Amino acid sequence: MSSIAIGRASSPGRTTALSTRSAKLLIGLGCLAIAALIPGHLESNFQFTAALAVIWAIAILSLVVLTGYVGQISLCQATFVGVSAYTVSMLVVNYKVAFPLAALCGVAVSFVLGVIVGLPALRLRGILLAIVTVGVALVFDGYFFQDQNYAWWSGGLNGWTFPGVSVLGYQMDSFHNVLHTYWVLLGLFAILALLVVNLHDSGSGRRFRAIRDSEVAAATMGVNLTRYKLLAFGISAAIAGVGGAFVGPALGSVSASIFSLFYSLPFAAFAVLMGVRFVPAAALGGIFMAMVPAVLQHFFPGIRYDWFNLGLGLLLILQMIIAPDGVWGNLARDAGRMGHLVGMARPKPKPKVAA
Amino acid sequence: MSLLSVKDVVVRFGGITALDHVGFDLNRGEILGLIGPNGAGKTTLFNCISGVIEPNEGTIHFDGRPILDLKPHERAQVGIARTFQNLQLWPSMTVLENLKLPIDAMERRNIVIDALRLPLGVYQEKRATELARATLHALELLRYEDVLAGDLPVGIQRRVELARALCLRPKLLLLDEPAAGLDADETLHLADLLQRIRERFKVTVLLVDHDMSLVMRACDYIYVLDFGKLLANGKPEEVRNNPQVIAAYLGEAKEKLEVEDADKSDLPAAAFLPGPSSAPPPGEGKTLLEVSGISGGYGHLEVIRDVNLTVREGEVVACIGANGAGKTTTLRAISGIIRANRGKITFDGKDITKAPAQEIVRLGLLHVPQGRGLFAKLTVEDTLRLASYSGHRGGDLKPAYETFPVLEKRKRQMAGSLSGGEQQMLALARALLVKPKLLMVDEMSQGLAPTIVQRLFSYIEAFKAEGMAVLLVEQFVDAALSIADRAYVFEQGTIAHEESAAKLREDQTLIASSYLGRAAAEEEAGAASANGHRTTSDLMEEISLRLPAALMRALQEQAAKQGRKPEDLLLEFLQGQEVEA
Repeated sequence: MSSIAIGRASSPGRTTALSTRSAKLLIGLGCLAIAALIPGHLESNFQFTAALAVIWAIAILSLVVLTGYVGQISLCQATFVGVSAYTVSMLVVNYKVAFPLAALCGVAVSFVLGVIVGLPALRLRGILLAIVTVGVALVFDGYFFQDQNYAWWSGGLNGWTFPGVSVLGYQMDSFHNVLHTYWVLLGLFAILALLVVNLHDSGSGRRFRAIRDSEVAAATMGVNLTRYKLLAFGISAAIAGVGGAFVGPALGSVSASIFSLFYSLPFAAFAVLMGVRFVPAAALGGIFMAMVPAVLQHFFPGIRYDWFNLGLGLLLILQMIIAPDGVWGNLARDAGRMGHLVGMARPKPKPKVAA
Repeated sequence: MSLLSVKDVVVRFGGITALDHVGFDLNRGEILGLIGPNGAGKTTLFNCISGVIEPNEGTIHFDGRPILDLKPHERAQVGIARTFQNLQLWPSMTVLENLKLPIDAMERRNIVIDALRLPLGVYQEKRATELARATLHALELLRYEDVLAGDLPVGIQRRVELARALCLRPKLLLLDEPAAGLDADETLHLADLLQRIRERFKVTVLLVDHDMSLVMRACDYIYVLDFGKLLANGKPEEVRNNPQVIAAYLGEAKEKLEVEDADKSDLPAAAFLPGPSSAPPPGEGKTLLEVSGISGGYGHLEVIRDVNLTVREGEVVACIGANGAGKTTTLRAISGIIRANRGKITFDGKDITKAPAQEIVRLGLLHVPQGRGLFAKLTVEDTLRLASYSGHRGGDLKPAYETFPVLEKRKRQMAGSLSGGEQQMLALARALLVKPKLLMVDEMSQGLAPTIVQRLFSYIEAFKAEGMAVLLVEQFVDAALSIADRAYVFEQGTIAHEESAAKLREDQTLIASSYLGRAAAEEEAGAASANGHRTTSDLMEEISLRLPAALMRALQEQAAKQGRKPEDLLLEFLQGQEVEA
């Protein structure tokens, strides 16, 4: 007769959370230093691409919270980026508001829009929610971002030409000081990434993940679904808005083309490809999304952008087959396994379970 | 005043009344059992109390205040915690995280503090960890704390879910089938655990379960639900002896059915063979289906192991046994819906172990699943036409309408709008047109009134008369046995007995052990022989307190017939020997 082995003491072997955490922090800081140094040695158009890569990384990071933690689908992250970018541009160009203040306003507007988009998520999930967010993206893309009635905000069809900004004497623009823009963006990404990592293991993060795993259990265990779902959408949109605030300084102009549905879709695709539950995947996604086309252009000048999309499509299909947890998810797991083999990490205690 | 007071609760799903003016009171500190067969409305009642669904009528008071206006998370905060029949742990979180959530859901958490890892947040985190580990320790689960909840076997997951519910520090604990998927040992352990939990955590418990051994052992008081109505209530021993309850569980609704016999005018004459089958005795026809040693399940949960069964041509075979004993899973493995991990299945001389489901149908093995598997938006006529083509009858629906005249009247109706009984008839009519060699019907009687069930069984006999072999999975044991030639009794994922139906009808003990659990008895016997201090009569007395009275009576009758002591017979029975009739 089968039995469950209870009380048979086995060493719990808890990995000390603190040491893992500081090790991870150290590795993160190392990567950050490398990322900060490399573009200084590159041509200026690659410096520009590097700044763009961080903006994309921040946009994908916003999906790590929303899709990775809370399990909600959004195909309008580029819209959140755009809403913030336009608000900042309008304030800086037309009203001469100081950039940091304008950026805060942009993030706040994105947050509010995020909460509003989150309302349908209280009732819908899965494909239906995805369709709603596609609707949001299309409405903003085709109407608010381009219609002349909203030219006071979006700058009309031509968008805004963004001047360089100076924060406490620190110049940021898309020409000679693009590296400055890049470093500020990189710093912000690092801070946001750290906050998102912190969130994962906190009380709030657990509530988010509980909603992802089983909504009914979360509700019956005391999680206010309304509050936390809306909060998730708001936070996600606000993170995207941080990226949006820097579109002007990094690109020198703000126009509708990069806020369309056809940028939201790659965000989602890269997030899933790289591992939507993992923060480092956002960095990988941003680098990949901005750098690969630029590098290809550089070495094969005649190449068409379509080839990049084609490659992405194939990669996605491949990934679903061989690495369903995303590139980072599977890398992390395989690295752990390799660690065991070479005796670097202590094997995780596997509880002995008699069926 | 009572802690929980449910009054006149009515829940309707479409045209079906799942709960019909149900009311009961739960006193503080009590462990109250809510039992009833499949589809009796137990889980629905649970969902009403925990706020997952809203009743159409009625009131629910908790701790003196009405709670129907509260959202699920607010009910959790006033002190109602629950577990789920289909485990609802958060599988991608560790066991510890699963427990920490309800702890800090009771407190306010600020997302900014969390994201910045401010000291207050870190302090709260530590406190939650300590509380969670204390609860894990109390339930002997500490060694699993860092394991992802989804990776644990079902038995442990059930306990983790219980621990998680306790972390809410609830006044009321709702347990929905905590013994489902547990083996006899685990169930036994659970009953003791519940008693300890009540004392240690000062909770009141409302327990829903099929497993009578658990309910009888753990509960102070029992309410019995059947078809959405309260059937009986009382102390465990009263309920156990209540003939209505036994009828609801074992399908001994004979009296009711006798009355209904007058109303069989719309049945085809050939379909009505009174009493036990008059077809050729079992053991003659050629073997049609042979299942040898299959094991299988879902994911890494192995539900059935080492199942052997055969069905011969023109034979009706019943599979009976308690819920979760593996009957449905066996059918699914046979029809190719799930793959067996081990073992071999041959049908009509061909190996179908690895054949795809549609191939198996083409060979003439049709599976009518639990819930009938009809297309709700297809009319009766279209459903039947579809079947008749795949059965090479070229669109000839006559046989179906002749056997089921009521379907002809309803032929333009959508299948989904038919009554439960008519839907089942449609499923059977469809099977008739496909004309399989072997028809497997899963829980044909589920959710249907006994009278309709009896009528459906008469159709099965008509099929048999047409030369079809039938493999039935049934909860209405007596009805199933009255038409079956042989039966397999499932117990905990494998076949405990194979017996002729006639013999099983006479000797209810074999079935009772499967339904009412002989775990308690076995453990007692084991304990007694281990320390050797107790006398047989002591043992007898103790066991008789725990065994279902029906089983005890059956044993005593057997003993009287054979002129032996009931004690000896009981011991033989407990040692797994067959009691000779």
